[in-house]
Amino acid sequence: MKIDPKTFIQDYHLNVCIQCGICTGGCPVKFRSPLNMRRLVRETFFTANPSLLFKRPELWACTTCSTCTLRCPAGVKNVELIVGLRSILTHQGEVPSTVRDAFENTFLHGNPWGRFRDRRADWAKDLGVKILGEETAETLLYVGCAPSYDPRVQNVSKALVKIFQKVDLDFGILGKKESCCGNEIRRMGEQTLFKKLAKDNLALFKKFGLKKIITISPHCFNAFKNEYPDMSIPVQHYTQVIADLIEIGRLKMSKGLETHTTYQDPCFLGKQNMIFEEPRKILSSIPGLNFIEMDRSRERSFCCEGGGGRMWAEGATEGTRNGEIRIKEAVALGAKVIATACPFCLLTLEDAAKISGLTDQIVVKDIAELVSEAM
Amino acid sequence: MNIAVCVKRIPKTAEADLFIEKDGKDIKKDHLVFHLNDWDSYAVREAAILKEKYGGTVTVLTVGPEESKEVLTRCLAMGADRALRIEKPISSNGHLMAKILAQAIKNQSFDLILTGVQAEDDGYGQVGVALAQMLGLPHAAIVTHIEIDGERALVRRELEGGIEEVLELKLPAVLTIQTGINEPKYVSLAAILEAEEKDMEEIHLEKIGLTPNEPLDAAIDQVFFPPVGKMAEILKGSPEEVVTQLTEIIKKKKG
Repeated sequence: MKIDPKTFIQDYHLNVCIQCGICTGGCPVKFRSPLNMRRLVRETFFTANPSLLFKRPELWACTTCSTCTLRCPAGVKNVELIVGLRSILTHQGEVPSTVRDAFENTFLHGNPWGRFRDRRADWAKDLGVKILGEETAETLLYVGCAPSYDPRVQNVSKALVKIFQKVDLDFGILGKKESCCGNEIRRMGEQTLFKKLAKDNLALFKKFGLKKIITISPHCFNAFKNEYPDMSIPVQHYTQVIADLIEIGRLKMSKGLETHTTYQDPCFLGKQNMIFEEPRKILSSIPGLNFIEMDRSRERSFCCEGGGGRMWAEGATEGTRNGEIRIKEAVALGAKVIATACPFCLLTLEDAAKISGLTDQIVVKDIAELVSEAM
Repeated sequence: MNIAVCVKRIPKTAEADLFIEKDGKDIKKDHLVFHLNDWDSYAVREAAILKEKYGGTVTVLTVGPEESKEVLTRCLAMGADRALRIEKPISSNGHLMAKILAQAIKNQSFDLILTGVQAEDDGYGQVGVALAQMLGLPHAAIVTHIEIDGERALVRRELEGGIEEVLELKLPAVLTIQTGINEPKYVSLAAILEAEEKDMEEIHLEKIGLTPNEPLDAAIDQVFFPPVGKMAEILKGSPEEVVTQLTEIIKKKKG
């Protein structure tokens, strides 16, 4: 879609807004920034000069969690409006320097942190994982950038490999041929780079004749499932795969994890893709695990602030981070473990536990790690 | 105000694993990605800012292989009007680079010639200054601020120890640009794709009175990794144990 401020009203359905305020009411950063979605929609609708809307740091506070869009009774495309405004800024080059670096790094190195491409699969060394191109497999485990490079999230990738190997799942990874999925790149407004990543990745998927793709991150899952044009290969998030394996009795967990565990719904898995049951089913299947639900869960889950490019656009917000609020909620509930199924949630929540000084009361774990421990 | 900016395409090595070529004279580059030299991107941005203020044109030049066109395209997307690629000689160094650029520039009319302070790959920091000498123009190196006042440029340059020097130069002049002089904008992929449509001039060394076999006054004999020092000691253990060990070491060294 061509992005033009003159057609914002039609493109994002701004004319149907009834100014009910549900968008602002549900916004997870409304207490942390001047971002006011209801006002932004109104202003964009009435302005004769859209460029006046552009130079606002709060446009970068949005996590694109999509609570506003999903709750809007009229069908306003609020998140796409933010992405549209960011796209104009990106085309003008007016983006925060950290976002600029993330774009340039992704273009050059295939990951937003500018880590060396040849080291992308270092985490998998000695794990006996097939690298597609060297060996063949019909199922791809698309690892993603954070699970490839971040030492904390690499644990999740390793745990998942251990689980898949235990059940003799025939799968491969792309190794250093893998590039960023582009989900956050698109949400930060670099539409052309996103299209290039999608085109290159799709060509790679086709080249290896893949029949199925499994992702670690809900963000990659979302990009492949909802944003890639002509994506004909079925995509699953790993929680769907593990839930199926448990269901058919192929994955058995014998060790008990006697602990009170709650779950943070990642926005890109839950709200945006309606995968609520599978993670809970997995957690409830772990022997001894006592699953407890937080008040704000499922569609009402509270965004950790890691999405929509917030991993690279720090600032534009003030006050207590959502992650800290979430950790405190989990501790108050009596949870000893807060589980999640997203690299960004994992990182933001773990940071929050450290900042809050609550690491002796609660640990943050990915579901894959818990399953691997319970096997 | 007509401005020339000399730029270089360099390999990104910060995060990369480096290996040395068999002949021992260079690093292996086939597994590396290339980009516009960081200092040069500030120089191109500065030229674009000066053009906005004072009008005129911005011409970017590079000496390099066919692949160098990608950095020129980037410069065109950043606001340059003209781009010139000069085919690289068989072997080169900073001094020869300056000579080639001087030959290419000397018959053209520029008010200001900008280079980056240095290149990320070899870090010579000589090309801009040598170029000024060869062209017989005044110069200032490590420039952090530029103002134009008629026929003169008022510039600030960074000195050691946090001291700034303010200089007045008669135009035309050569300035080597320090990072931080401005905030380079993001150059979107769409802007780069649009810039690919723009014309680019490409010439061989013969066109400017040189040959691909120009003699070098200095050549690299050997490159090698710095020898591993003996003083470094990596402390192992839990954070508490490491702190205890470190405290003991500091106590001992303090005497």
